Amino acid sequence: MTPVTFLLNGRRLTAQSDSTILQVARDNDVDIPTLCEHKPLTPHAACRICLVQEQSEGRLLAACATTVAQDMDISTDSDAVLRHRRMTVRLMLASHSASCMVCGKGNRCELRRIASDLGIGTAGLYRMRQPALTLDDNPFISRDPSKCILCGKCIRICQEVVVEEALGYLERGFSTRLATFTDGPLHQSECTFCGACVSACPTGALTEAHPAYGGTGDRTVTTTCPYCGSGCTVDVQVKGDTVVRAVPSDPERPLCVRGSYGLDFIHSPDRLHRPHVRRNGKLQPVGWPEALSFLAGELQQTLDKWGPEAVGVLGSPRGTNEDNYLLQRFARSVLGTNNIDNGSRLYGAPVRQGLMATLGVPETNPDPDHLARSEVILVVGADLPNSAPQLAYAVRRAVKLHGARLILLDPARSRLDRFASLRLRPYFGTDGVLLKSLAEVICREELFDREFITRRTEGFEQFRQAVSDLAPEQANQVTGVPARHITQAARQFAGARQAAVIFGRGITQQPMPSEAVKALANLSMLAAAVWIPGGGIYAVELEANGRGACQMGMLPDMLPGYDRLDHRGIRRGFEEVWGGPIPAERGMAALQMIQAAAEGQLKALYVVGENPFRSYPDPQLVREALDNLQLLVVHDLFFSETASCASVLLPAASFAEKDGTFSSADGRLNRLSRIMEPPGQSLSDWSIILRLAEEMQHPLPFSSLKDIQAEIAEILPELEPLPPPEGSRGERPTAVGSRWPSTRGIARFCIPRLPEVATPSEGYPFTLVVRGSPWGQGTGQRTGRSRQLRTFCSRGVVEVPHRAAGRLHLSEGETVKVVSEHGSLAVQVKLSYSLPDSVVALMAHRKEAPPAALFAFEADPDTGTPLMKTCHVRLERVRHHER
Amino acid sequence: MRDNSELITDIYRSIVREVLSDYAGHQWPLIPVLQKTQQRIGYIPPQCVRLISQALGPSPVEIQGVISFYEQLRDTPRGRTVIRTCRGTACHVRGGPEVMIRLRDILQISEGETTADLAYSLESVACVGACGLAPNVLVDDEVHGRMTPQKIEQLLQDREEEEPW
Ligand code: SF4
Ligand code: SF4
Ligand code: SF4
Ligand code: FES
Ligand code: FES
Repeated sequence: MTPVTFLLNGRRLTAQSDSTILQVARDNDVDIPTLCEHKPLTPHAACRICLVQEQSEGRLLAACATTVAQDMDISTDSDAVLRHRRMTVRLMLASHSASCMVCGKGNRCELRRIASDLGIGTAGLYRMRQPALTLDDNPFISRDPSKCILCGKCIRICQEVVVEEALGYLERGFSTRLATFTDGPLHQSECTFCGACVSACPTGALTEAHPAYGGTGDRTVTTTCPYCGSGCTVDVQVKGDTVVRAVPSDPERPLCVRGSYGLDFIHSPDRLHRPHVRRNGKLQPVGWPEALSFLAGELQQTLDKWGPEAVGVLGSPRGTNEDNYLLQRFARSVLGTNNIDNGSRLYGAPVRQGLMATLGVPETNPDPDHLARSEVILVVGADLPNSAPQLAYAVRRAVKLHGARLILLDPARSRLDRFASLRLRPYFGTDGVLLKSLAEVICREELFDREFITRRTEGFEQFRQAVSDLAPEQANQVTGVPARHITQAARQFAGARQAAVIFGRGITQQPMPSEAVKALANLSMLAAAVWIPGGGIYAVELEANGRGACQMGMLPDMLPGYDRLDHRGIRRGFEEVWGGPIPAERGMAALQMIQAAAEGQLKALYVVGENPFRSYPDPQLVREALDNLQLLVVHDLFFSETASCASVLLPAASFAEKDGTFSSADGRLNRLSRIMEPPGQSLSDWSIILRLAEEMQHPLPFSSLKDIQAEIAEILPELEPLPPPEGSRGERPTAVGSRWPSTRGIARFCIPRLPEVATPSEGYPFTLVVRGSPWGQGTGQRTGRSRQLRTFCSRGVVEVPHRAAGRLHLSEGETVKVVSEHGSLAVQVKLSYSLPDSVVALMAHRKEAPPAALFAFEADPDTGTPLMKTCHVRLERVRHHER
Repeated sequence: MRDNSELITDIYRSIVREVLSDYAGHQWPLIPVLQKTQQRIGYIPPQCVRLISQALGPSPVEIQGVISFYEQLRDTPRGRTVIRTCRGTACHVRGGPEVMIRLRDILQISEGETTADLAYSLESVACVGACGLAPNVLVDDEVHGRMTPQKIEQLLQDREEEEPW
């Protein structure tokens, strides 16, 4: 790479010799039209629109694929260039469908724009035969091959960026077209409807299928997707007050189907518009002043009569940092209770505990982009394509483009299987044994990094001793995984310079989840991979702000920034800033609160955006508990099941109707920008709490969101809690990750305990796993109200292995009763040809069939996490007259 | 009891495994592997594409693209006998199209298709270099000149009698 000097339209310029003519032109504000060039993709030079001329030799060059050279004399608008460019466009138009006027791409079509810039109205050429319309039957994407100019962007983005590998070229020459594998419709292909190809397509060949997602917005707002912890930055196009389209803000970072097509839940007719208060057993709409004064009175009464310990507060991993910060401050300084928790308890607490014990940090935040440097990636108990799409994209890119080896450790299959070089499938509940055996191999064969272990860890010798009794041959008997696979996986993992670990709900919702997290941290330490880019530990974050809710102190035992509640000095620091006492006693975690409500100790519960009735195990017990309360306050977008039990129900603004910040799984702080006014009288959670505090004669010293942000910044400067500039993707603060080495610099090997392997009890022959899907998220409150996602996730489905279905005379589509020891559900059967014979899989996120109903109200004693990933069930046919 | 499709998949799996082992260490094994698979099975079924994809890396849809790019590779089965009419100019003007029409009627398939019993595939081909005998029909690479609809019908009938399938 050397600097070269050349002429561009007569201007003398200097640039590095590896820059393309196109880059140089763009840097110097010279416009060159392009159709097939797309930032993250390798140049393809297929469309020939970007032709420029090298004046001295007269050659025409593709600007996107040609690098600059010394003494070039480039013209971007010579006669020859314009003549060729016009011809190219006319040829494209000649083979293009004539339905420009009604095209779904409208004036976002790049071909149309370039044609009109060149003054081309019609092709003026003999029209070529056009391929027929492709029949796709899905609510997301429609294909019109007659408008395809074969620029290949969609194919390359599908193959190189999201790596779903759904699209490719078929045939050649004139008949070339794009197609799925076996040329079927998209919904029968690998396609997950991530929308990446649609937003990249320069013409109307790929467009949004749903009529509501049509036309062109009159403004675009950059905000953050409210679904998962990936924290994608999304450009939402709005027409009037309706969202018409959502596209990735950064073409290099595509969304998933939920972000692209699932944001319209905010327009659901189920949205709450007014506050409600229960009078004579019925929820009745009232105005804000009335609702708040009633609520303030009731809360005060409860506090006076039963004391603050009888009050609990549940925040939401879907709320913003500001909402959660204010809510816990309200709970601690106005209500005076530490009975505070948030919905990430259901999967996140074990991560915190396991990492604290080993690495001394409560969270882990490597950048998914670093996976590009990994040599080995170990994915344990995580269905990434469904629960963390961006991690799935990054893992597949690492494998496909950067040659990483993927080791999967999971009893269940996933769409990553195809990319794995080694798949370990332990029996359910035996992951712990397998992890221990991996450590045994690494220790016995001395594959660990001795220098790292001596310098940066402690407890190694005891650990080594403790794992020495589980050779792969023994582990094989418990887990069913061939001993040589265990050995192979251990060698590959420890032998890699950069070895990353990714884990998900398969770990965090199993018995003794924090022990498994410790085991994973141990492995990472053995490979000396804890803090290096390309190594590290990734925990799947299911909710958009699960991390933020915890960082903001929405926890019963930790203050904002995970500061210790039980430390007098720290508490005093907070008391100074908050100007009042903070209770010292650690409070109840989520499930304990429900239990306490059922038993009558908890009298009032304040729920912001959570739906315990659907997300917690044993809905019957939850209902009894909620009914048992004197006061149930709910902020919600919809009349959820929990909302319908409320004594006071307050309409909350959705992500689209408020400002604030989310912390993503990888620790970026992302900005939410208000897209439109909240419907009816809905308000942001934070402003409801401010008003309520005032009504309770205990005003909090904030009058705007900025004030709250300023206080967060004061308390947690290392979290950089000031919102990033509008329209940008949040930065990753270095402080959170680096806090650890600055404290002591030593990680600890923990000897993990192993849970007992649950054996199926008599009469429940199947192991049921709860499985995610791309079309749903959480309990389906929002995804189930998105017009497009709903079509793909409308009914509950249980996948039954086809042989078992044969034995039970079950057929596809039939309704079956799934019975566990704790409850039952009626759901539709889907035959599976990939599940093992004794395993059935139940789709999560279906509003109509909440898996929670099958689980006992039982939490891991260490972390308070309910065990909601697998249980034992039987299937009962529903006889005709019962239907 | 195992059903048929599983049996077939198993057979395909062992064929693909053998073919792959022949080309282990080969630098660009994709094309030879596809050719060899086609030799063994007659075409390259989707199940094999998936297996090959798994072993060699490119995605199924990319491999499918490669198959459709090369005229000699096929991802649909072909008949035991391939009949190709010449679509060159000489044959065209001397009645080639009528022969093709008759063939379509007899076999009840269109150009590019294969009969359900896998007996015949119907294709066309560019000038075969025997314009003097136009119109020409190739039956499994054997040139039959001066073809007429009647003659082609007779020819098929004779074959049926010789080799009753
Ligand atoms: S929507 Fe996504 S997965 Fe589907 S074809 Fe387009 S890029 Fe590929
Ligand atoms: S569908 Fe669109 S993106 Fe894909 S090749 Fe055709 S024009 Fe390009
Ligand atoms: S759901 Fe997650 S991966 Fe999908 S667009 Fe939203 S933040 Fe991104
Ligand atoms: S943009 Fe350069 S050839 Fe298409
Ligand atoms: S045109 Fe048919 S053989 Fe030449």
